[in-house]
Amino acid sequence: MGRSVIWGALALAILWSLTSADMGLEKLPGAGPRLTEFLGRMIPPDLSIWPEVLRGLAETLRIAILGTLFAVILSAGLAVLAAETLVPPAIWRPVRGLLAVIRSIPLILVAMLMVGAVGLGPLPGILAITFHATGMLAKFYSEAIDNVAAAPVAALESAGASRTQQLRWAIWPQMAPVILRDTVFRFELNLRESLILGIVGAGGIGLYVQTYVRSFQYDKAATVTLAIVGLVLLSEALNTALQKRFS
Amino acid sequence: MTAVIALDAVSHCFDGEAALTNLSLSVQPGESVALLGPSGAGKSTMLALLDGRLRGWQGQASVLGNQLSATRSPAREIRADIGFIFQEFALVDRLSVYQNVMNGRLGRMKSWPALWGRFGEQDHICVTRALQDTGLSDLAHRRADRLSGGQRQRVAIARCLAQDPELILADEPVSNLDPAHAERILGLITGAARSRGIGVIFSSHQPDLSRRFADRILGLRDGEILFDKRSGRVTSEDTDGLYHGASAATGLRVVS
Repeated sequence: MGRSVIWGALALAILWSLTSADMGLEKLPGAGPRLTEFLGRMIPPDLSIWPEVLRGLAETLRIAILGTLFAVILSAGLAVLAAETLVPPAIWRPVRGLLAVIRSIPLILVAMLMVGAVGLGPLPGILAITFHATGMLAKFYSEAIDNVAAAPVAALESAGASRTQQLRWAIWPQMAPVILRDTVFRFELNLRESLILGIVGAGGIGLYVQTYVRSFQYDKAATVTLAIVGLVLLSEALNTALQKRFS
Repeated sequence: MTAVIALDAVSHCFDGEAALTNLSLSVQPGESVALLGPSGAGKSTMLALLDGRLRGWQGQASVLGNQLSATRSPAREIRADIGFIFQEFALVDRLSVYQNVMNGRLGRMKSWPALWGRFGEQDHICVTRALQDTGLSDLAHRRADRLSGGQRQRVAIARCLAQDPELILADEPVSNLDPAHAERILGLITGAARSRGIGVIFSSHQPDLSRRFADRILGLRDGEILFDKRSGRVTSEDTDGLYHGASAATGLRVVS
């Protein structure tokens, strides 16, 4: 009974989406030739703009690195306040709520607000990434704190280890791989997200994508796209390699 | 001679149920005592109390001449003198065997150099000796989570031995070991008691091994001491009564 209701609702939702009047499905047949034309204009890519592309990539990378760094610093403090095992519910509940709200605000919206607040350039990008990534990292870090097994810590305390020694030799070894893994994962995400920040004027290579597409210079847009694909593949490979080390 | 352990009318309740009832006990330096008794008899509770980790008990208890408190842990120097072998091993999985054993030395060190992994020569000597004694030298650089259950138990024992304690408390220290290793480890622990004049209390479910290695055996059931005898005087009737009595108490039938 319950299952057939769920399937029925799902079928209705799909049907409703497909039959919506403003979908414009009739435009689909014409899309193929138009896409082919665009792709034709992208080939061959104009490689003469590589100095600009490199500058844009470098700025994107800087935004991702600094945004991640500041998010790590903020998250370290907030994670303690969000950890069930360290603070009372009166503290961790509202802090976790705040982190959930931060995570729910789309990055592009945060970036637009930051551009409004501090002007164009990489700074609003760094601030937006910091804000957005903190919502996720602080949550992950607090979970790493909560998942520390108590028995090894008790064993060190029983042997006379001081609190700082317990932190160094029983708590940190349990948390470190989780924290490093989450941070590297978030850095890769930050890099991907900062690629589009330029579209709203928050720095990085996204500005070039927008400029070249709007001015119909598809051969140059192709070069930027290739550079972005290269950077994303590189960061993904790096992430995969590091994740293996942290297991 | 000051007793290493002195309990006087110690009682403790878990959720209103008696876990230890009016225990009085004295253990002399150099003496090895085995705690025998079925699961739930109060062996682990008693060992946790002696280690200073139990809260809310009543009575008088002193360990190595220091009065224990029912509300807070003993001072760091006292904790460093009491070695505890945990039933669940309590190892730090991602650390090497060597570092896990070195963790037993932390109470003997200054806090700061140890934070950077700078350990003294004496610490390295103690760790190396403990690894040799427990047959772990070849595994020193393996991560703890890559070991078998028996190997992990030996690491927990080596950590305690490296601590160089004045009293060893062991919660079923040989439960995961094959007979040869179990004999070697119990020989090592109780041998340390005799040669260095320290006290040893270990809990066990193996009456024969306990009789062979302990000087004295305490039969514990439902938080009470049923018998306290020299090992040579403990009869099979004593141990049978200990376990079968509990079976009757818990409603289980013993099929022979």
